[in-house]
Amino acid sequence: MTAQPPPVAPLARVETLDAAPTLGVLYGRALLTARSGGTTLPDRRLELAGVRIDADAVADYDHVCGFSVGGVVPPTYPHMLAFPLQMRLMTDREFPLPAPGMVHLRNVITQVRPPEVGEPLRVAVHADRLAAHPKGAQVDLVTAVTDVDGAEIWGSRSTYFVRGAPAPEGADDAASREPEPHVGRLPHAIWTVPGDIGRRYAAVSGDVNPIHVNGLAAKAFGMPGTIAHGMWTKARALAALAGRHGPAFTVDVVFKAPVRAPSKAYFHTARADRGWDAKLVSPKGRDHLLLTLREA
Amino acid sequence: MPSAPSSPRRAAIVGANRIPFARSNGAYARASNQDMLTAALDGLVARFGLAGERLGEVASGAVLKHSRDFNLTREAVLGSRLSAATPTYDLQQACGTSLQTTLQVANKIALGQIESGVASGVDTTSDAPIEVNDDLRRVLLAANRAKSTAGVVKALAGLRPGQIVPEIPANKEPRTGMSMGEHAAQTAAAWGISRTAQDEITVASHQHLAAAYDRGFFDDLLTPYLGLTKDNNLRADSTLEGLAKLKPVFRPAGYPDTEATMTAANSTPLTDGAATVLLASDEWAAERNLPVLAHFVDAETAAVDYVHGDEGLLMAPTYAVPRLLERNGLTLQDFDFYEFHEAFASTILATFAAWEDPIFCKERLGLDGPLGTFDKTKLNVAGSSLATGHPFAATGARIVPTLAKLLHEKSQRDGTAGRGLISICAAGGQGVVAILEA
Repeated sequence: MTAQPPPVAPLARVETLDAAPTLGVLYGRALLTARSGGTTLPDRRLELAGVRIDADAVADYDHVCGFSVGGVVPPTYPHMLAFPLQMRLMTDREFPLPAPGMVHLRNVITQVRPPEVGEPLRVAVHADRLAAHPKGAQVDLVTAVTDVDGAEIWGSRSTYFVRGAPAPEGADDAASREPEPHVGRLPHAIWTVPGDIGRRYAAVSGDVNPIHVNGLAAKAFGMPGTIAHGMWTKARALAALAGRHGPAFTVDVVFKAPVRAPSKAYFHTARADRGWDAKLVSPKGRDHLLLTLREA
Repeated sequence: MPSAPSSPRRAAIVGANRIPFARSNGAYARASNQDMLTAALDGLVARFGLAGERLGEVASGAVLKHSRDFNLTREAVLGSRLSAATPTYDLQQACGTSLQTTLQVANKIALGQIESGVASGVDTTSDAPIEVNDDLRRVLLAANRAKSTAGVVKALAGLRPGQIVPEIPANKEPRTGMSMGEHAAQTAAAWGISRTAQDEITVASHQHLAAAYDRGFFDDLLTPYLGLTKDNNLRADSTLEGLAKLKPVFRPAGYPDTEATMTAANSTPLTDGAATVLLASDEWAAERNLPVLAHFVDAETAAVDYVHGDEGLLMAPTYAVPRLLERNGLTLQDFDFYEFHEAFASTILATFAAWEDPIFCKERLGLDGPLGTFDKTKLNVAGSSLATGHPFAATGARIVPTLAKLLHEKSQRDGTAGRGLISICAAGGQGVVAILEA
């Protein structure tokens, strides 16, 4: 399906896939495949053309994340298109970090306009900025979604962390400043996070990372128990802000303490200049999610 | 039939009937909304000789409603002794429902579109609808949509044991996940409403309601039902000392250091009941030798954005009242009676505090100065929701005739006109307020 890599690649190799990879298979392969153990990223860019957003799949996603069915495609939804490609990149043997147990640290989405259901889209992903993290290594997966005219309508940068993984020396300076939401001390909503939210979100996203779907596996990866997907918390936060902002914006989210499933969490929101600030906080005051949304 | 008047006339409040309100899962545990509404309507028919009469309309509604009750009011009227030619509709505005139905009926009378009508509301928290959970519902609906046997089998393959767990309606705001009590607790904390002040409102409500029963005030406003002759939430011997012993039930999220002040006594209990009001043109009432207790003057509905904390969930009346006053050239002090729905004692106290706060009144209400205070001896003089209970949609149709009769009594006694203000807060950050005169 993909071309064999040449020994030296002066420019990023662009590989166009025929269809989205199947995530369960990729996770299985990731668990069985030995890592290259290197500290450099593969110089590859995976693309999938002619992708069309399916109305039924969006409806399933809406039900799990709290968006209105039939409204604009949720700003987090294109991540569903990109994630299989990201996984394909990350589960290849030449990728230096293991995918199972990987933790989502941050996700920045810039939307120029919401994609339409059924319109032909090109989705491209590549890895970037492998860096040291105080407890391991982190890497960014960058996605661009372009329309039929070649205009980028949606882009995202996801930062993932792997505990104890090797990283290039002193390379943690590339990350931009984290969002600093300013909210009041009063929560405006109390979230009841269902115990099966990991399985539910896995069913609509294909992200079957064991830390979200199996308590024992989650503990094996150093989690207190199954945890909600970070992108589910981001989606739900954006669902709460639906109708309160325009179509073009950047929404920057840092995932702090994992949200256990089941649990309760306090959601704080505040209007900001040209957008919104929000925080998801545990009842004991630990930050789960920091969000800033700024309109273009 | 008189021709439609060229300028709006005022609808008359002729009388009313309700059934006693019953605490949840008690006296009315086996009665449905339709049962209770039919009983309340038949009591009204009996009181005013309306058997076989075709009224202009009956407007009612319920907050907790079974899907089979899509035509709740129509079914109740068809089972009542009113003419089956009386048209009906259902309306739902949470706790504001039957003040809003009163407004609808009064407006049609005012415009000459109808000559008479019944405004009402009903709710049961005992015979509440239980739904299959969303997962099971979606599987069953998908199976129902399938066009082939294989399609049905495929859809039903989605069945899981966990889907058996039913969903019971919860008193929660969908967008915030907080109960009304939790919202009210935040508002109480924000305005620094004391436990004692809340308990004082509560004791007064019980004492006023008990006194009103004792003097026969409700004799022509209420019909016994299923063994009850008065609201069974009433505690005539309620005292401040007794209430002070109760543990708080609602804690204000985000105020960990603030004392929780809201108890089961200074919050309204879940209640079952139904209430109806008969409205008409003066001519319609005169033709039938029926009294006119008071007239419906004007009303205002407001809504606030509580979702992101701009305002407290139950504070919409705080905004509605000044708009209503301005339109009618009145001040807050220009009333003989104040009927404030006691969703929680803290809710009306927060409303009063806001109206005395010059900054709030300037910045939020756009007023030059504070709306001010009023003589609290005129507040809920015949008791209110803390004592009667609060079947959500029925509360407006309890309050309207209570105020109409108070105004009628005053005009009979003093020979002078009187004016009263009604205020009801509702889920979803809404509120309905109205003025009656006699």
